[in-house]
Amino acid sequence: MDEKFEHGSLDLAHFIMNDIKFAQGENLLKCVQCGMCTSACPGAQHSDYNPRDMIEYILEGDNSIIESEDIWNCFYCYTCHSICPVGNSPCQANQVLKQIAIDEGIADEHLRPFLGFGDSFLNHGMGGIPQNFFKEMREDIGEDWWEFKNHLDDVRTQLGLGPVYPDDDSIEEISTILVKCGFKDRVEKIREIKDYEK
Amino acid sequence: MVSDNLKVGVFICKCGGNISDVIDIERVKESIDADVIEEYTNLCSINGRKIIRDKVIGDELDRVVIAACSTQSHLKTFQAYVQPLNPYLMDMANIREQCSWVHSTTDDDFNQKATDKVITLINASIGKVSKSEPVDPIVVQTPNSAAVVGGGISGMSAALSLGKQGIKTYLIEESPSIGGHMAKIGKVFSPVKIAEECGLCLLNPVLNDVVWNENIEVMTNSKVVKANRRAGSFNLLVETKPRYVDSEKCLSCGDCVDVCDKLIPNDWNDGLTNRKAIYKPFAQCYPDSYVIDIDNCDKCGDCKRECKMDAISFRRENEMIPLEVGSVILATGHKLFDPDLRPEYGYSRFKDVITQSELGRILGVNGPTKGKFQCLSNGEVPKNVVMIQCVGSRDDTPNGHKYCSKVCCMVALKNANIIKHKYPDTNIIICYTDIRTPGMFEKYYKHAQASGIRLVRGRPGEVGKKDGHLVVRVEDTVKREFKELDADMVVLSTAIEPSEGTNEIAKIFDVSQSEDNFIKEANPKIKPVTTDIQGAFVAGTAQDPKDITDSILQATASASKVSEIVSNGIEIEPFIADVDYEICDLCGECIEVCKYKSMSIEKDRIFIDPMSCSGCGNCIAKCDKNAISINGNIDEMIFSTIDGILKDKKPGEKRIIAFLDDIGYTAADNIGINRLSYPESIHIIKVISVNRVMPKHIIHALKTGADGIFIGEYPGDLLYDEIEHNMKKIRREIEMNNMNPERLAFSKVYIPYFSGLARKFIEFDSKIDEINDLAK
Amino acid sequence: MKQIPDKNILLFKSCLVSIEYPGVESSTTFVFDKIGVDYFVSREQTCCTGLGHYSDVFDQFTTTVNGARHFALSHKLNRPNFAMMCATCYAINKRVANLLNENDELRDSVNDVFDDCGFEWMKYEKDDITSRENIFHVIDIFYSKRKEIAENIKYDFSDFKIATHHGCHYCKAHYHDTIEGVRNPHIIDDVVNACGVETVGWYDFKRATCGNGFSQRFVHKDLSMDATNDKFKSLKDKNTEILIHLCPNCHIQFDRYQPYMEKHYGEKLDIINLNIAQFLAIAMGADPYNVVGIQTHTVPVEPLFDRLKLLSDEDKKMIIENVSRKVDLDNSADFNMEADTIKVDFKKGAK
Repeated sequence: MDEKFEHGSLDLAHFIMNDIKFAQGENLLKCVQCGMCTSACPGAQHSDYNPRDMIEYILEGDNSIIESEDIWNCFYCYTCHSICPVGNSPCQANQVLKQIAIDEGIADEHLRPFLGFGDSFLNHGMGGIPQNFFKEMREDIGEDWWEFKNHLDDVRTQLGLGPVYPDDDSIEEISTILVKCGFKDRVEKIREIKDYEK
Repeated sequence: MVSDNLKVGVFICKCGGNISDVIDIERVKESIDADVIEEYTNLCSINGRKIIRDKVIGDELDRVVIAACSTQSHLKTFQAYVQPLNPYLMDMANIREQCSWVHSTTDDDFNQKATDKVITLINASIGKVSKSEPVDPIVVQTPNSAAVVGGGISGMSAALSLGKQGIKTYLIEESPSIGGHMAKIGKVFSPVKIAEECGLCLLNPVLNDVVWNENIEVMTNSKVVKANRRAGSFNLLVETKPRYVDSEKCLSCGDCVDVCDKLIPNDWNDGLTNRKAIYKPFAQCYPDSYVIDIDNCDKCGDCKRECKMDAISFRRENEMIPLEVGSVILATGHKLFDPDLRPEYGYSRFKDVITQSELGRILGVNGPTKGKFQCLSNGEVPKNVVMIQCVGSRDDTPNGHKYCSKVCCMVALKNANIIKHKYPDTNIIICYTDIRTPGMFEKYYKHAQASGIRLVRGRPGEVGKKDGHLVVRVEDTVKREFKELDADMVVLSTAIEPSEGTNEIAKIFDVSQSEDNFIKEANPKIKPVTTDIQGAFVAGTAQDPKDITDSILQATASASKVSEIVSNGIEIEPFIADVDYEICDLCGECIEVCKYKSMSIEKDRIFIDPMSCSGCGNCIAKCDKNAISINGNIDEMIFSTIDGILKDKKPGEKRIIAFLDDIGYTAADNIGINRLSYPESIHIIKVISVNRVMPKHIIHALKTGADGIFIGEYPGDLLYDEIEHNMKKIRREIEMNNMNPERLAFSKVYIPYFSGLARKFIEFDSKIDEINDLAK
Repeated sequence: MKQIPDKNILLFKSCLVSIEYPGVESSTTFVFDKIGVDYFVSREQTCCTGLGHYSDVFDQFTTTVNGARHFALSHKLNRPNFAMMCATCYAINKRVANLLNENDELRDSVNDVFDDCGFEWMKYEKDDITSRENIFHVIDIFYSKRKEIAENIKYDFSDFKIATHHGCHYCKAHYHDTIEGVRNPHIIDDVVNACGVETVGWYDFKRATCGNGFSQRFVHKDLSMDATNDKFKSLKDKNTEILIHLCPNCHIQFDRYQPYMEKHYGEKLDIINLNIAQFLAIAMGADPYNVVGIQTHTVPVEPLFDRLKLLSDEDKKMIIENVSRKVDLDNSADFNMEADTIKVDFKKGAK
């Protein structure tokens, strides 16, 4: 596994504490495993995800948690974050763990279905549900929804609203910025492997 | 240096070789300028006393310098030996702990550098005494009386102890009866007997003793609304609300209650039952009479008409009672965390979610159910009880308390045990994070487990309702399993937090509060009952969460602190601040700046309480008008001591002055006692507070030849932060005088960390060498 | 209590509002106009990255750079006060503001990106925007304008069983800034109260997630729907007829997926979904199709109108009085917002 984090040390914990996705600082280390997070966690109530346990792995320096499938069941609902008696945030720690997995290239399959969010942002300056989900959504939700989607502009006009997307200059601007941030490369890297596998 | 008309005597102690083996005493004697110079093997002996006294009287000495050991060992001895001379006209030059013991290694017969230092130290002392003035220690006698605020178990215990020691005591209680939380707690746990005992049965004898003690005056329905401190006494203003029922006439027949038709939630039963607007707080209350809750009374007069004794009158008004007492014990207690602040546990939504305190009432034979254990929703005995620990405790989220409330584990185990013994078919689960039952309480914990009480390690997320009964959602962290525990009753162990009275009284008396709003003790380790206001002490849960036993311990401890003051008064070092009323314009800046809260305005004058003034001099620096001085001419004494140290400084010689407070001085002594060493260039001057060393002193010393100034301060001192901050300013001032600011060093000092202090002396000495080299 | 602005507001467009429930935006502007809020909607705005961010596609740095651009835009437009229609926009931008203000190194890197792109005007200076003073959800503004809301209502909803759902990223992610409860969120209830309507208040799983869980709805649909089912079951126990929320993502979960839920869990739900802005717009007499946009909903909103009554002048007067009293009570210093909402009987004496 990753040599960046020495097994059995606090390396992984320190990495998470210093990551910009994590805002709770050293409170991560104050966890007493009380389980209040798990007690109120929708992921824990309906799957094998266990935020308390996840924190214990982190504090024990057991890097195998990065590869765990269970951590992908977090809802990002921040319930644990809002009630943790020591001010820790399992929810944010979870997000950092996933970024580590992504950086290590072991999470691509989790991300691929959502690359459309990135494409949409790069091309239209806005997020939007990726088209690859449309078929299933159309089945689950119904034809009325599909009909509405195809006439969105008409409805918006009726409501007195302008075009959905930002103006062209702004799209150009944000696209330039995202390329500079390395975001485009990030998306392409994940996609490439997909193409290669094909 | 010495004024012509002052005769100075110097007495040098050889200390049986401790000093004279290292120091060339003969050369010392030759080098100093004094009217009388004597040496002796053991100055502290009875013979030494004779030598000193004969010279003081025979030669009519005005000032005396004793060159011997540390003030720590023999200050009091030599202050007595110089009589009839005023003790403050004598100074000790520490030539043992801070000289011969730290500079002993040398090839010559004597250590010449150390001998030079002895001469310098004696000159410093001569300089100091030349400016000293005769002053007398202040003894403050306090009145033989005390007020105890709060009539719970802590307040009653404290009052009883004071009363039994013959101290006139006012026990001031806001509610209509003394007794406090303990009166309604039901059973209390006994760790030694591993059993529960009747709380009221234990309380009642204490309550009776309080009532019958002739030194104790119980004031119920009363609260302190104002407090002023003056030289060892407190002037209090107590507001007493009328009971509207004359306790002397009332027979407690209860006829009045029957005719009252107002229903008000009964505090004593945590609101689980109602009482009338005219009521008796509880059966064993004191005063044993009825009282009218005037805020909830519509004054219909039915009770008055019913009363055969004519004890009721509505024409009563609040009374303001002034009291003067010597000391005060604050025992204003706690309240419980509002369970609605953790709405996920459903306290207000579900009748059968209750607090441990309410469970205590339900289990009490004098409670709402006459001791029958039952659900409030349907009156049935619960089959399944789940208790949730740490509700509001150990919780860093908004409205929570970071601390552990300390008693809740025992309270939960106690109530669980009581239930289990009477209702063995009821299942009880305690959801906990850590069970905290230190010492003997662990045995009670095992006893509870043996009774069949189950423990689930997990902090519940919420309480919901499923198929008509309550469910507690919790992860069993030991089994790594999310569970929904069925419950007919859920009991919340709510945190202990400071009562409103505790918050109010802290403000009235100006005592500091902790970050959690409890009343703060002066030092949690060694001064656990003293507050930062002289003469005010704290007891019980006003100070932090604790059980009954600890409350009583602290109450009696605080009573004995009061007794100390009453018996002996307080002897105070006379070097305290003094205000020139001609100059003072009452701007009040000094009051703001005083860290010891010893200044106030009284009768259009600044009043300085001698009991709390430390003589730190902070106010002097702040006073633009120069209206404040410190008794004892300390400013001048510091100048003349510096001059003494720098007297006859030879070219190329290095002299560093170290200003140390009491703690630093003791640490420096420890260097000598442990025979560590540091350079002879270090000359220590003891000051009451390093705050008294002003920039002008430092600049003067550096200008007149000091190579470096070392300032050591104990970080626990109230002024530490300020002094550390001031150092920057002084360094800038040194720089403005074209001197290297690095010649001033500031360091933390601790008594046990003497080796560190020695090392710092050595480092500073070599740093000064570098600076001197650079200057060349 | 935090100070909530009503001027110089940039009404921040939400991607899901724009694409799925555009009526939320037109309802918001309708209500803002009624209650006197000064706002502007900009076509230079992109979106917050939220959906991509919480699907882990966006990294925090990219999200922060994108956010910094919006902060610059708000200053350019002299509209430094953000009002969000979506809980995720709210949380994302608050986080971005905190990061830009507290992390000097990160701020420098963000500004380097702008330098490299030649977008000088976007560069961020510490405290240009602060999370607590500049970033709000539309609900905060409604809450601060409850008196004005009461003055503008025309229809009476008091015959309906109304429950509320508070978006997680509104009330839990930045819980120190949340008004009216984190553990028992009830700010929507309070705003609904301002229309003279009592809600069902607390219900089991009230503070729980709607269940969408960002990626969960798409890749772990069973898990997502199980969580939603917890809420629906509890809402059904309370006989809920209308569910009001403040986030389009929750809106999709409860509205779009309701037919699926009914089929999957075998229970008829018939719970009408409204965003709080839509609810207020209807109560103020907005056109259902030209303003509220009910034609975009999956669960038909029309049945609601059959039972809607005009509010009598007498009732309205009483509501205005009571709301005004309650607002003053809430603004009093010792009021604790985590505790349950203070009950005010809105119709007392009116009938």
